[in-house]
Amino acid sequence: MVKKKSDVYSVEIYGTKDLEKTDIGDEGEKYKDLKGNKRKKKSEDLKKELELDDHKLSTSELEEKYGTSINKGLSSARATEILARDGPNSLTPPKATPEIVKFLKQMVGGFSILLWIGAVFSWISFGIQLAQGAESPFDNLYLGVVLALVVILTGIFAYYQEAKSTNIMASFSKMIPQQALVIRDAEKKELPAGQLVVGDIVEIKGGDRIPADIRLIFAQGCKVDNSSLTGESEPQSRSCDFTHENPLETKNIAFYSTTCVEGTATGIVINTGDRTIIGRIASLASGVGNEKTPIAIEIEHFVYLVAGVAISIGVLFFIISVSMRYKILDSIIFLIGIIVANVPEGLLATVTVSLSLTAKRMAKKNCLVKNLEAVETLGSTSIICSDKTGTLTQNRMTVAHLWFDNQIYSADTSEDQTTQPFDQSSPSWTALSKIVTLCNRAEFRPGQENLPIMKRVVVGDASETALLKFAEVILGDVMNIRARNKKVAEIPFNSTNKFQLSIHETDDPDDKRFLLVMKGAPERILERCSTIMINGKEEPLDSEKAEAFQTAYMELGGMGERVLGFCHLYLPENEFPDTYPFDTDSMNFPTSNLCFVGLLSMIDPPRSTVPDAVSKCRSAGIKVIMVTGDHPITAKAIAKSVGIISATSETVEDIAKRLNIPVEQVNRREATAAVVNGMELKDMSLQQLDEILCNHSEIVFARTSPQQKLIIVEGCQRQGAVVAVTGDGVNDSPALKKADIGIAMGIAGSDAAKNAADMVLLDDNFASIVTGVEEGRLIFDNLKKTIAYTLTKNIAELCPFLIYIIASIPMPIGTITILFIDLGTDIIPSVALAYEKAESDIMNRRPRNKRKDRLVNEQLAVYSYLQIGIMQSVGAFVTYFTVYAEQGFLPSTLLGVRVNWENNAINDFEDSYGQEWTKYQRMYLQWTGYTAFFVSITIQQVADLIIRKTRRNSIFQQGLFRNKVIWVGIFSQIGIALILTYGLGHVTALNFTPLRFQYWFVAVPFAILIWVYDEVRKLLIRRYPGSKLVGQEHVLLKQSLSLVVFLLLESFFPT
Amino acid sequence: MSKEAKKPFRQSMAEWRQFVYNPNSGEFLGRTAKSWGLILLFYLVFYGFLAALFTFTMWVMLQTLSSDIPKYRDRISSPGLMISPKPDTALEFYFNKSDAQSYAEYVSTLRKFLESYDDSKQSQNINCTPGRIFDQNDVAVKKACRFNLSELGQCSGKEDKTFGYSKGTPCVLVKMNRIIGLKPEGEPRIHCTSKEEGMVEINYFPPEGLIDLMYFPYYGKSLHAHYLQPLVAVQLAINSNSTKEEIAIECKILGSPNLKNEDDRDKFLGRIAFKVQMTE
Repeated sequence: MVKKKSDVYSVEIYGTKDLEKTDIGDEGEKYKDLKGNKRKKKSEDLKKELELDDHKLSTSELEEKYGTSINKGLSSARATEILARDGPNSLTPPKATPEIVKFLKQMVGGFSILLWIGAVFSWISFGIQLAQGAESPFDNLYLGVVLALVVILTGIFAYYQEAKSTNIMASFSKMIPQQALVIRDAEKKELPAGQLVVGDIVEIKGGDRIPADIRLIFAQGCKVDNSSLTGESEPQSRSCDFTHENPLETKNIAFYSTTCVEGTATGIVINTGDRTIIGRIASLASGVGNEKTPIAIEIEHFVYLVAGVAISIGVLFFIISVSMRYKILDSIIFLIGIIVANVPEGLLATVTVSLSLTAKRMAKKNCLVKNLEAVETLGSTSIICSDKTGTLTQNRMTVAHLWFDNQIYSADTSEDQTTQPFDQSSPSWTALSKIVTLCNRAEFRPGQENLPIMKRVVVGDASETALLKFAEVILGDVMNIRARNKKVAEIPFNSTNKFQLSIHETDDPDDKRFLLVMKGAPERILERCSTIMINGKEEPLDSEKAEAFQTAYMELGGMGERVLGFCHLYLPENEFPDTYPFDTDSMNFPTSNLCFVGLLSMIDPPRSTVPDAVSKCRSAGIKVIMVTGDHPITAKAIAKSVGIISATSETVEDIAKRLNIPVEQVNRREATAAVVNGMELKDMSLQQLDEILCNHSEIVFARTSPQQKLIIVEGCQRQGAVVAVTGDGVNDSPALKKADIGIAMGIAGSDAAKNAADMVLLDDNFASIVTGVEEGRLIFDNLKKTIAYTLTKNIAELCPFLIYIIASIPMPIGTITILFIDLGTDIIPSVALAYEKAESDIMNRRPRNKRKDRLVNEQLAVYSYLQIGIMQSVGAFVTYFTVYAEQGFLPSTLLGVRVNWENNAINDFEDSYGQEWTKYQRMYLQWTGYTAFFVSITIQQVADLIIRKTRRNSIFQQGLFRNKVIWVGIFSQIGIALILTYGLGHVTALNFTPLRFQYWFVAVPFAILIWVYDEVRKLLIRRYPGSKLVGQEHVLLKQSLSLVVFLLLESFFPT
Repeated sequence: MSKEAKKPFRQSMAEWRQFVYNPNSGEFLGRTAKSWGLILLFYLVFYGFLAALFTFTMWVMLQTLSSDIPKYRDRISSPGLMISPKPDTALEFYFNKSDAQSYAEYVSTLRKFLESYDDSKQSQNINCTPGRIFDQNDVAVKKACRFNLSELGQCSGKEDKTFGYSKGTPCVLVKMNRIIGLKPEGEPRIHCTSKEEGMVEINYFPPEGLIDLMYFPYYGKSLHAHYLQPLVAVQLAINSNSTKEEIAIECKILGSPNLKNEDDRDKFLGRIAFKVQMTE
């Protein structure tokens, strides 16, 4: 045990060196110098400051150094002074971006900058027009104001959404202030731990969290759980002796945020707050840069794409309009219109809403997402580096196997066991159960009678707890049994004896003998036995039986289980009468020639949901890598039982064993699985690590330090994988931060881990990650749909401008009207697409390749822009021309009329029938045109919404009614259009007019056409899968021709 | 870590060139010529189809329209007023009565405008009964009523070739916009006022600025080809001491309950405002 600890610690220290090594290895290529330097400096700081010598000092020297007294503690006045000097004893939370910066970021990010440009242009043209004394310059002022408002409002909205999700986290991480028992002014006081200062004398007892870094000056049976610091879950004893040069390894220092498991101790506070070891590791984590989330990259890519289209079309038409002798001012106004038409103003807000909806849904499934964008990251994850303890396992020792009567029995290890199914009829079991019950110091905390046994809190170490619960499940009230078998003497477990012994009266009133029970390391127990119990009878322990024991012991040990041996002895009544004075120091009772009863083996069993979750991950193409601080054998056993190493695959060692050849001769390519020891990893070059990560599909890293976790994560990222990392300890935080998505454990996780993570698993359950992956993939698919839906109508908004400029027709749609589509009718439907159910089993396909499977790809853009968008434009133009024609302006009259049409001085503009129109009458007609165009787009967007529900499946397969929110979307869309048209139709500033009812239906045939066209496309995709139809129009062409021929033949020659 | 390292410029240029034209696979912009051809063909067919569909729908829509009267006339229920001559920029007349060049354009515009009212052009037009709506609903060929230029008196351009501009009594013709089927009620007349009292004396031709009902209704360009809309000439006798001053004139149509002249938003509905500034 001791040896192992020092391994881990040395790795801990050199772990930081390893970090550096990767720095150097990658320098120039992967790291910006600045970043590397910063990090290096930090780790150097860490090492330097570790050279503290408090553990070497004697008590009096310490008193002198810190100006304190062991008995009296600090004076309150002195403490206040130091507190003022050093600050409170708490970790500085990671530097938060100032709210105003976050807000401003929202104001200029994404499309905002384009819209600002639009607004500024509007104001410029307003200024010019005002100076020229034009008649209605205020239109442009309003437009500018509206654009600015749009930016500000969507910015505020996005900011609010982000703040809301941050708040969830903030409320979550807020903890009950910890109290510490401090001696000050020679009095014991309860103080909030934050008030502790260097030199304070604190008392700790089992169950407490260590409130600061403490040099122990008194300890009794004190054990601490350093897992939050080292990842090693085995409690370590603490005393006041200086045992090691290295402060991290010496026994007389307890570290901040670790837990005292049992015993009591008193110590001097030597470091507080950020100067504690934990504080330094936490600050190391903040030095690891945060990567952009995949969805952020995708959205950026999308913004660039759309902005590129907007700017190039804008500039192109600016040039065209200038060369067509439009006035520069007019050209600028066109440019604004083109930008506004091209930019999907509402889309980023929609994306935020969709993500936060998913985040909410995930929170319900115990995945609390801190960073909204991380919702999707999980969906693109291709490697999960999972912790073992607590994530894959239940994080409690549980009896897994028993061996008695020469036979191995399996016990139920599930989370909610209430009985044990194995055969309990043998008298050997009765004897064994008695030892298990009696030779055990663990006790339930009182007042938990109503809780299920497995959930009760136990005072005692992990193995004893397991045994206690095991006995309680089978035998019932253990405490009662213990009471009936009064304990008369006891030797607790210690590392030299490696056994635990107690002597009891029996509960049989006729049997006056004492019962000596003993448990411990099996080989040590066996040494002390001369007989073995078989079917309730004591039989001599011959070599054959010893052999059987050995086999069983090996088998259980081979399963990675911790094995304990049990034996007993009834002390003869004549030698040990009632009054016999048992003395545990002189051991005046027999401790050999005992009767061996059986073996029990314990393991921290996998959670019952995990194997299923792992296999789901596998079918979803996600590699699950186990990274644990545990022993390789245990790690491998758990990996096998949860399916991380599948039943059929072998490690190099397995192959070697099977073929009976040395490990070196095995073809490494043949082994699909690998178990890598932390010690091997330490000596590996990056290339070797890459090789392992590449060649083996099933990998377990055992005995790794948390710093090595970082190396593993970086290795995975070098393979181009999107890596999810789970962790709970403070020192996991660098890896959590480095990962594309860091997942902290909500129950076992430390605050630092939760801070560094992007997501918190509220139930610490690996299976929750899988649901998260599913949600993440779904949202990616659905965002694609949302974007396709939104982009389509941009063309229908853009075409009017282009045709207006080229053909000089009256303006078909106004800039304000476009904003009403983008931010009005289209918002709810596009959010509704986020509720769309998965089309096929999304967990059966590989994770998306972040280089190839873009959110917005060529096909999507081309299909939306050049096909559906154009169809929509045609439909809308038909409505537009119909409105004008029915009012007296035939299409032929409209061409080229722009200049006169817009001339304020012409108030007798003649239409096709010889009637004359004033400017305002024309304007009103133009607004009617806007409204008609708007209504047509809305109607066709309904069709667009329906076709976007699915990407492959026919709408009949997916069902129109499964996603009810879509209907909310459709009705809201039409409802908003109705309100705008008829309700606000008289507010001139909005440019809507009441519209004749029949104009609502002009575009319906086009809507149907869009739907039919898309159904045909989907049919072809399903019929000719893999030909990547979307976007490959020539294939589409060929196949639609063949389909037409097929349908014709079918109708002429029915079969 | 996962972030891609920045590629050297030369390499990315080479990749670009490769993308624009790849000599190995013969790919141009990522596709072979055949592939591009097929795509072009697809879009040709696709857009051809859409164009045909558009044309067809428009054709069907146009079939539902009558060539005589528009389907709806609700957007122009009431006529606007307009003047002639109409200055280029805003409705502001600036001229020097002694400088013929300064008003030459106004005069020529008026002359041109009145050409169609010339007696020779009105040979087909009939003399209608004054004061009555000239309903021709049952007649296939709609007749146009004669508008005698003489009704415009001094503003007819017959006596004074400069329409009064040279004398400081400029003429402005006020006309009411043509609207198919419009039948004014009552006794519509044009009345103009000047904001500035006493600067200008306004005379109307025909007297009182009356618009005769016999010119209504209008049956549209195709049925009523020779239709001439009635005109009212407004002669502004500018007071000799008010020269050099800008005189704002507003003309309104009065006397007819169904002709609006007070619309908030449409400043030309049944009214028109213009300015005159004359120098000597």
